[in-house]
Amino acid sequence: MNAERLARLFVVGLLLGLPLAILIARWFPPGSAAGQTIEMHARMAESGGWTPSDLTAEVREPLHFRLTSDDVVHGFAIGQSDWPAVDVNPGEVTEATIAFEKPGKYVFYCTRWCGPGHWRMRGVIEVSGETAVEQDAEQPLYAVLGIDIDAPHPAAFTPIQRPSARRGASLGIPITKMYQDPEYLHRRSPAETWSVMRAETFTQGLSDDQVWDMVALAWQNSTSPAALALGQQLYTQNCAACHGEAGSGEGVMAASITPEAQLTAESGHDHKPPANFTDPKMMLGASPALLQGKIIRGGMGSGMPYWGPIFTEEQTWALVDYLWTFQFDY
Amino acid sequence: MSAHIPPSFYKYRASIVFALAGILIALAPLPSPITTPTERHFRVEARSFEYNPAVLRANPGDRVTIELIPMDVVHGIYIDGYNLEFHADPGQTGELTFIANRPGIYRFRCSVTCGALHPFMIGKLQVGPNSLLWRGAGLATLAALAGAWRLRR
Repeated sequence: MNAERLARLFVVGLLLGLPLAILIARWFPPGSAAGQTIEMHARMAESGGWTPSDLTAEVREPLHFRLTSDDVVHGFAIGQSDWPAVDVNPGEVTEATIAFEKPGKYVFYCTRWCGPGHWRMRGVIEVSGETAVEQDAEQPLYAVLGIDIDAPHPAAFTPIQRPSARRGASLGIPITKMYQDPEYLHRRSPAETWSVMRAETFTQGLSDDQVWDMVALAWQNSTSPAALALGQQLYTQNCAACHGEAGSGEGVMAASITPEAQLTAESGHDHKPPANFTDPKMMLGASPALLQGKIIRGGMGSGMPYWGPIFTEEQTWALVDYLWTFQFDY
Repeated sequence: MSAHIPPSFYKYRASIVFALAGILIALAPLPSPITTPTERHFRVEARSFEYNPAVLRANPGDRVTIELIPMDVVHGIYIDGYNLEFHADPGQTGELTFIANRPGIYRFRCSVTCGALHPFMIGKLQVGPNSLLWRGAGLATLAALAGAWRLRR
């Protein structure tokens, strides 16, 4: 008799206890202790982009991403972070866990060309913490100098033949200290630097094109092979699809930035093709700070995306350094 | 000698001749044209969901280089039979070099899911002459001849 009562009690306990345990468990979501799990779907920008695209997190809270694609191959990366990009393939789930050490706004973006609107695939993770959001007091150089990015900047002087740093070095004339200072060079276009250098005493015996070779040499001295390699890598991954692998502005995506495509995508803005980095008139009139500003802000009426929240300062300068290889032989 | 041949042989003489001709057409080794292996370079533009050009022709032993230029999204090439795969992003031309040492006709397909019609993004790699087609045509002609012969009887 006692055993039967015990069995009944057990059954009643089970029937009441199980739903109760489930209800109690819901009070303590797994996210609160071990971070949150984010099921994220990637679609082409035209059909929705990232879902969800706005995330909030605490500092040092691990975010477990479960990434999958609903259409084509996408990539997932977080701007200005060392965290490596992962591929997001249709029909597969890519898992990744990330925790942020500093509060702030982080932009995540697609890393594989997934269509004409690839660069629109971006989202934001807002990370809050006890410490106040650190305001980067340091503004980028173009903002400090107050450069108007949209103003035309034709070069007042252009070389006859392509300037070569090697020819400049073979002249055997030491470059004065002023032209070795990256701070100086970043603020001036090659054409400006050329006109200043032309007036110097040490260039008196040189032809105009030889002075251009000296400018190329100064530009080469202001960068490093490592920066150029990094710049080239960033260029091929992010820029070459529109600006072309040879920098001529004839990338495979340039055709899709037609006036018609622009009109349907946005309002009827002026349409401009991607910039041609092999054009001396345009490039030699631009200072590195101006190019930095164009990369950070984007726009320019050509549908150029903004890269400010994605590239670190080092990456942006490496990219600018690489752009000069379309003008100068190093 | 002729006494040993059964009379049914004469009855089926034509059929045997046709059958032998059929076997000859189907299996006879073709005089392979002697070609010196060369370098072959193909520039293939890939667009959803087609290759341009979609037919690549080479001779056995050729050194084939395929340059893949995706025009919109990430595309790839997987060559059946050769078991080779590579893919490329728009703006980053991909390249694959191999020796076409297996004669025959092979399909190549997109190896990266590129959209709804991705499974139908195919092209053809033809190494050497298309002997299968000519043998098939020969056999068809033979069958037509045999049919005509039969009708005349």
